[in-house]
Amino acid sequence: MNNHVSKWIELNNEIMMQKDGQFQFDKDKEAVKSYFIDYVNKNTVFFHDLKEKLDYLVENNYYEQELLNQYSFEEIKNVYQYVYDQKFRFPSFMSAFKFYHNYSLRTNEGDKFLERYEDRIAICSLALAQGDGKKALDIANVLITQQYQPATPTFLNVGRKRRGELVSCFLLEVDDSMNAIGYAINSALQLSKIGGGVSLNLSKLRAAGEPIKEIEGKASGVLPVMKILEDSFSYANQLGQRDGSGAVYLNVFHPDINGFLETKKINADEKIRIKTLSLGVVAPDKFFELAEKDKDMYLFYPYSVHKAYGQHLDDMDISSMYDELVNNPEVKKKKIAARDLLIKIAQLQMESGYPYIMFSDNTNKDHALKQVGRVKFSNLCSEIAQLSEVSNITDYHLPDEIGRDISCNLGSLNIVNVMKENNMQQTVHLAMEALTEVSDRTSISHVPSVAKANEDMHSVGLGAMNLHGFLAKNKLNYESKEARDFVRTFFMLMNYYSLEKSMLMAKERGKTFVDYERSEYANGNYFDKYKTENYHPQTELVQALFEGFELPSIEDWQQLKENVMEYGVYHAYRLAVAPTGSISYLQSATASISPITQKIEEREYGDSKTYYPMPYIGADNFFYYKEAYDMDMFKVIDLVAEAQVHVDQAISTILFVKDDLSTRDIAKYYIYANKKGLKTLYYTRTKKKTIDECISCAV
Amino acid sequence: MNKVYEAVNWDRPSNDYIEMLWNQNTSQFWLDTEIPVSKDLKTWDTLSDEEKLVFMRVLGGLTLLDTEQGNVGMPMIAMHVKDQQKKAVLIFQAAMEEIHAKSYSTIFTTVADQSKIDNIFQWVKEEPHLQKKTKWIDDIYKNIQPNDDYSLYQAMVASVFLESFLFYSGFFYPLYISGQGKMVASGEIIKLILRDESVHGVFVGLLAQELYQSFSPEKQQEAKEFVYTFLNTLYENEVGYTETVYDSINLTHEVKKYVRYNANKALMNIGMEPHFEEEDINPVVLNGIRTETSTHDFFSTKGKGYQKGKVEPLRDEDFAFVNELVEQSSN
Repeated sequence: MNNHVSKWIELNNEIMMQKDGQFQFDKDKEAVKSYFIDYVNKNTVFFHDLKEKLDYLVENNYYEQELLNQYSFEEIKNVYQYVYDQKFRFPSFMSAFKFYHNYSLRTNEGDKFLERYEDRIAICSLALAQGDGKKALDIANVLITQQYQPATPTFLNVGRKRRGELVSCFLLEVDDSMNAIGYAINSALQLSKIGGGVSLNLSKLRAAGEPIKEIEGKASGVLPVMKILEDSFSYANQLGQRDGSGAVYLNVFHPDINGFLETKKINADEKIRIKTLSLGVVAPDKFFELAEKDKDMYLFYPYSVHKAYGQHLDDMDISSMYDELVNNPEVKKKKIAARDLLIKIAQLQMESGYPYIMFSDNTNKDHALKQVGRVKFSNLCSEIAQLSEVSNITDYHLPDEIGRDISCNLGSLNIVNVMKENNMQQTVHLAMEALTEVSDRTSISHVPSVAKANEDMHSVGLGAMNLHGFLAKNKLNYESKEARDFVRTFFMLMNYYSLEKSMLMAKERGKTFVDYERSEYANGNYFDKYKTENYHPQTELVQALFEGFELPSIEDWQQLKENVMEYGVYHAYRLAVAPTGSISYLQSATASISPITQKIEEREYGDSKTYYPMPYIGADNFFYYKEAYDMDMFKVIDLVAEAQVHVDQAISTILFVKDDLSTRDIAKYYIYANKKGLKTLYYTRTKKKTIDECISCAV
Repeated sequence: MNKVYEAVNWDRPSNDYIEMLWNQNTSQFWLDTEIPVSKDLKTWDTLSDEEKLVFMRVLGGLTLLDTEQGNVGMPMIAMHVKDQQKKAVLIFQAAMEEIHAKSYSTIFTTVADQSKIDNIFQWVKEEPHLQKKTKWIDDIYKNIQPNDDYSLYQAMVASVFLESFLFYSGFFYPLYISGQGKMVASGEIIKLILRDESVHGVFVGLLAQELYQSFSPEKQQEAKEFVYTFLNTLYENEVGYTETVYDSINLTHEVKKYVRYNANKALMNIGMEPHFEEEDINPVVLNGIRTETSTHDFFSTKGKGYQKGKVEPLRDEDFAFVNELVEQSSN
């Protein structure tokens, strides 16, 4: 390519050059057209027919032979035919560009496309339907109508002969021994090599100053481990596709908490400065209670706790154990002011966006497997909330005791299209099958603790996107009562249909997840909240939106409960609302259930920069696309809280603030989110006023 | 009589914008080491030799200008401005200029080897246009006479021209390629610098306008003539510089348009009419200089969206407020 900007990029950028006070949205249409005519079409390998194409792709090691062998050629052809017949067109440059730039299969030289969007969907449907031609068509339908979208690792890799893993997300426990730290680092490297993000729980590590081999003051705490992890992640990138990403979580009652947070400070010393590793804190109710009463909080040295109780600090319910730990002279502790820590977290969020916060008591109170184990930390995007069990990694000549770490494969419903097609039960069922197929097929042999948990738990994470798009399209304000009303019914439906499907799969396969008997599903308590409340829409506007939908009644829930108690459920965890980055562009959707950040979004990925007008935006709904920075974050939390009631894992929630807020304002959001039952907060994004804005009001 | 030494008193702001500019400046404080420049190594290899040379040269040129501004321009102006708070803002800006100058080296050190870097610094010493513009500006800075507002005004104009106009022939290329997904982390650094320079340009521009208002009509006429004459001299030199740097990659024409666009912006900062016709600028570059927070995620670059937080302690009433809100929302 020459030095000059491509025509389509220029056209896309011209959206921003206002003519007569209007953005030039039509330029984006021209940009897509130019992108196809001037670039995609010219750079796509031509085949005479499907047979020739598939033969070529198999012979040249692009597609898996075994996958296609599961079907007759007729069945395969039907799927391709069906998908192409739907005449799908990308409505914006960004969506087309995202697909061809990041997802489409290319020749080994990297210069020509071997797949159009339709081809990727066809091969994805075939791969996820386990040889069932009819099911492949059904899955193809939900994919090409953009009702369901698998997460990037699945959608990108499935069907390819040479590929990365289909699972995007891993969480690892780290035990307090050198063997365990070594295992964690090796696991992080291995997982980073093959998949997406890795999150590690550092709360079990002994704090700085604790004894090693009974010699006091020798341990250096969590910071050096963070440094090693940061370097490991930047070393392992998925075939150069993107840099490895990692997160580390620490309980706020761990004595290294201050140092942990300071690694992200702008002025931090280079030796301890953490640049690319993401941070999260785990915050029990006790922390907020102490802050509210303006009391000091005691931090507990984990090694001394383990010595005194034979149990790790973060395996305990700290809120209820707090007084006991404070009064135990065997437990080494240190005192800080709870409010200071809360403010420090807020300050850091303003400076760096981090840390994420997990409200651990909300998470564990609402946990369907609470009798089986505790949820101790979350993942890189803070939507995963599953139990974990630390492994005992021994010396080479001894057998390890492998516990349960966490992997989760994700997918999302596109709310606009699900509501349009009005076939939600089948869509959710198919989405669950697609997700389960990925889980069934995955076995991460490099990390046995991940493989074990996947085998035991069959966990998946179905989420949703395009909420703000849906609301704006239907002229509803994101902060309105109606928006919350819609969300509660929609997520109730997701919960109902996904649970129903999980029950049906358990019945079909005669198999539940391991430890099902000790779950809240088995004893029926899970269904308590559906005994008296049906979560049907209460406002007229939202009732109209659900017209023609069959909404489950209290009796239906009762029936589901009985079926679940009889047959069990297949998945330990089903729902998780991810932030949806790239895939929401593919779907021309707004991200997750978040409010939009810009009516016309400027996107800076590591690899490109383009403009993306929000879906369906026009003069008639411009007003309903209120930008997140102008919204009341308390209202945003209210909306997430409505959805959270029905989601068994967590919802990735971003706070959007303007730079004139102080740490005090931000801390209020945390307190509120905790009281409203949110399980996690993802990062905080701060919008800086531009100099024009502030100079114009002052001079 | 003994001279009276006065302490800066921020309790009594000397005008209604000074505190805001101080806050704006300090809240956007950053260090080059916050940006993971090493991420750019992958795309660095995709640039052709000519492109690499242009990239290195523009950074070399920018280093020289930031050095001049940090070591001479800002301190000299600060020395002669009387107000203590204005001095404080100027000195802070001077410190930022040093961080800018260093940050180019951070990029150099990451992507290029020692001999290439040395060659660039040698080139900077020998490139006539670069040497000329630095000398002209430097002469004006060093010509400030004690208690002479006119020479101070000239220095302020020179400073605004440097920061709002002359930098941009250099900024163009990193913005242009980061808009295409290349050298994105370096692009972030340039945008952080640009965010600072736009504040500096506005501030010094305001100071210049205040002085201008205090001049007699004759003096104002003289000042105006100085501004446009100096602008034209600098522009002509800038055209030569642009050709030298950008001819090899056929971008000269685009850069010149961008230079004229920014010359007009510099004039606006000092309250003067634009000099050049309005033209369409390459939208990729123009979008790069908008200083709003753009969208990025954890797989991506650091972004220019984060800043020093304003710290305020929590109070009992905050908890009461939240409890009230929880109660309301559950009704």
